[in-house]
Amino acid sequence: MCGIAGIMYRGVDQVFDTGDALIRMLDGCQHRGPDSTGFALYAPELSGRLKLRFFLDRLNEGGGHGAIDAIRRRLGELGAIVEEEAQVGDNYRVTVGFSGDVQKLSYEMERAAKVISIGTSLEIVKDVGSAHEVDDRYDVHEFRGTHGLGHVRLATESEVKPEAAHPFWATGFADVAIVHNGQITNYWKMRRRLQQREFEFTTDNDSELIAVYLADKLAQGIALKEALASSIEDLDGTFSFLVSTQDEIGYAKDRLAAKPMIMYQDENLVAIASEEVSLNRLFPGQALNTREPAPGTYATWSHSI
Amino acid sequence: MVALDLAQLSVREANTRLRTLGEAGEDVEILNPDARHHIGVGLTAPVRVSVRGSAGYFCAGLTDQAHFNVSHNVGWGVGDNMYSGSVVVGGNAGAIPGVAIRGAEIVIHGNMGSRAGQVMKAGTLCCVGNANFMAGYMMYGGRIIILGDSGERLGEDMSAGEIFVAGKVENLGSDAMLTDTDQVELDQLHEFLDRYDIKAPVGFSKVVNAGTKLRYGTPEPPMRSIPFQSFSGTSPYWNPKVQEDIAIKSQSGRYRIRGYGGARPLPHLSDIGFRKNLTNAGSERDVVEQVRMATEIGGINGARPLNLSMPVMIAPMSYGAISRSTKQAIAIASAMSGIAENTGEGGMSDAQRDAAGQLIFQCLGGRLGWNIHDMRRADALEIYISQGAKPGLGGQLMAKKVTPELAKIRGIPAGIDLRSPSRHPDILGADDLVIKIEELREATGYEVPVSVKLGAGRIRDDIKIAAKDGFDFVELDGMQGSTGAGSAEVIDNVGIPTLPAIIEAVEALEEIGARDKVQLVLMGGLRDGVDAVKALCLGADAVAFGTSVIIAGGCIACMQCHVGQCVTGIATQDPEHEKRYKPENESQNIHRFLESVRWQIAAITDALGYDDVRQLGRDDLVALTPEAAYITGLPYEPVPVDTATSSTGTAP
Repeated sequence: MCGIAGIMYRGVDQVFDTGDALIRMLDGCQHRGPDSTGFALYAPELSGRLKLRFFLDRLNEGGGHGAIDAIRRRLGELGAIVEEEAQVGDNYRVTVGFSGDVQKLSYEMERAAKVISIGTSLEIVKDVGSAHEVDDRYDVHEFRGTHGLGHVRLATESEVKPEAAHPFWATGFADVAIVHNGQITNYWKMRRRLQQREFEFTTDNDSELIAVYLADKLAQGIALKEALASSIEDLDGTFSFLVSTQDEIGYAKDRLAAKPMIMYQDENLVAIASEEVSLNRLFPGQALNTREPAPGTYATWSHSI
Repeated sequence: MVALDLAQLSVREANTRLRTLGEAGEDVEILNPDARHHIGVGLTAPVRVSVRGSAGYFCAGLTDQAHFNVSHNVGWGVGDNMYSGSVVVGGNAGAIPGVAIRGAEIVIHGNMGSRAGQVMKAGTLCCVGNANFMAGYMMYGGRIIILGDSGERLGEDMSAGEIFVAGKVENLGSDAMLTDTDQVELDQLHEFLDRYDIKAPVGFSKVVNAGTKLRYGTPEPPMRSIPFQSFSGTSPYWNPKVQEDIAIKSQSGRYRIRGYGGARPLPHLSDIGFRKNLTNAGSERDVVEQVRMATEIGGINGARPLNLSMPVMIAPMSYGAISRSTKQAIAIASAMSGIAENTGEGGMSDAQRDAAGQLIFQCLGGRLGWNIHDMRRADALEIYISQGAKPGLGGQLMAKKVTPELAKIRGIPAGIDLRSPSRHPDILGADDLVIKIEELREATGYEVPVSVKLGAGRIRDDIKIAAKDGFDFVELDGMQGSTGAGSAEVIDNVGIPTLPAIIEAVEALEEIGARDKVQLVLMGGLRDGVDAVKALCLGADAVAFGTSVIIAGGCIACMQCHVGQCVTGIATQDPEHEKRYKPENESQNIHRFLESVRWQIAAITDALGYDDVRQLGRDDLVALTPEAAYITGLPYEPVPVDTATSSTGTAP
């Protein structure tokens, strides 16, 4: 049960205040989810390098430093060379040089530590608390980038903890993230299908499933738009979700349209949110020409269009 | 005209000002609305409100007489439950525009979202653009005009009213059909469109109810009279209950409908006892004076709480399921005993309001009888999500009981087999629920407690949601609760019994550290003060009685509540039957029963060594069966020192 938000600015090779924009949008719909808040933030690609973020509180070997040492050691063993690193809030953030198989690296690192995200562009920041509380801990407002997603969560069936917060990274696939409002009712059926093909899941959250489902399609060379079209056929339940990749952002909405979604588009940006009040936070005092995506539809945008 | 700027004021502040200005007859302009929710909610004055920009959810919701003009878009539920007055929206409307309206006029110049006019009762909803799917879903009356195209399943399960579409009708919903528009209707449509300066189209398709689902094909056959004891017997094979079930289905060919509660053995409060020897319980003559029982419910977030003279209230029962005289008798008795009465689904009558000292007003998915004026004179509001007897299902009221008078208060056609919606139009998740609660609070100036009624199902999750969404109290209803009519299969087989329900609820709240953030009222087959004390020991803050109150007031437990010809005049709307019921006598009987409950609660609390019901705790209990021990985690003591049931003696 939640509120979702997404923003993409038009313009290739430019960066914008995406962190600040998402904070404002999520603050506008915080009533939909007071438990936790999260951001998927995209910056221009770092070629040949990967950004990794880990939760530190889940590591139990000798506190923060012991945990960081363990991550470093494991990264080294897997052929990733640490270039930059920092402890931010309860996260360990590291940039590595890596040219191997990202999926293998991801699964190995999942066994060694609690991965939040891996990507050449993507970083996910998520924690319990409101948009402003999470910003206070992680300085999200300083983030400049190309596009991003945000999410506020009211936990209904699982615990309130940072790992259960959104956005969800498509475990194993660099740069794919999702925010979702709704409930996938054929979760276990779909998950078993993907597990039979050796995909791994780190939570029981249905949003992770959507992320992996889409990332799998993308890895097969299917366009994001096509992947979203098939998700409406394959996924059962009520859902409104946003997905982002290194250079695209998209939405899908189920046929019953029980979960709200509204969008605004102009020459500078595309913004999508659960409620218009979030969109209006980007344009205070202005009445917007918004559009509600029709039930059972999907769409994608990239920087250039 | 006075301007209220939402860049400076919160919506709550603006609405308070708006109501004051409305009473003074002043028109108002809302600046910088920025799609905020609840703009204008609860306004009941004939003034004009201009919203310069877009409004969020429930704009003009729960209003009467006012005229709103929104220059841009509106979110979900514009004009929710509006009585009279109008809303004109310059842009698009989100889902459920005109939900549950009872007479207003709503005009959307752009497109409108799905389920437009859901459960509307009267008035007109007009969309100049296109309508999304299921416009007119479960509408009970009124008129929808769509000048563009309509989406899928138009008029799904509508009971009455008309839908006119100038554009393309994609397809029709269940039990809807196309028919001809006559000249009178056409003239009325033109008059309406002229009034709002809308160009009339050439012609319309008209959609109405097809009449195939308003009544069951076969009325529910009467049951033979089987005493409840043998009906609920434990013999597994071909007992009278099973035989009756087969005999009735051999006539109706469908699932059965009956009233009263479940009739199968389930773990219950009788499976636990008191740890202490209660031989001397009640030996003190003035024990009622010595034990503090007064309980406040609903004040934890600052609303005006219910003041109960003991931790007891009346369970929700509708005027509809039971007669007006019965509701009156219960209201009188509740006032005499200083506890709260509850309207149930069917709306509030003046007689009931006047008789009850404290009255909880229930809001259900069909919004039958729900309105701003009665909300304002209620002492607490209650959002019904489900009930213990039939969790996940809506109420049923068979045609015999849907009299013209009853239909009027509910805003529905008379003489249908009413199957109330099982879901709220505007509560599809915990996130929507937050916005709904806020709307009810806005409408009542944050003074009236807002509670939720939960039928025990996924208690652990549901109770946490209730805590997070900030309800002022929760009424938790176990499977042993009764109903005026429900599917017999569901009554007997679906749900979580009351005993595990309270255990799981308390555990769940403790898990998230919210035990002190939620007041729990337990109901579902509680019979007397002994059960009440056990419930309090297990963590309930209060309890509610339904069936036992009805029995105290003359019910003979024949389980024919659904038929509508109740011989005692309780579960009927037929004046011939109702005249047997003497509220002046039965109110005394119910009051005496409630006083026996008070005495039992006091006597047991005293015998356990306390002088305040809030001192009761789990440590005062033991489990009498292995099953109850497993459910409750209480020590299994099969041969108790003494049980309260046998030691409390007789009431004075």
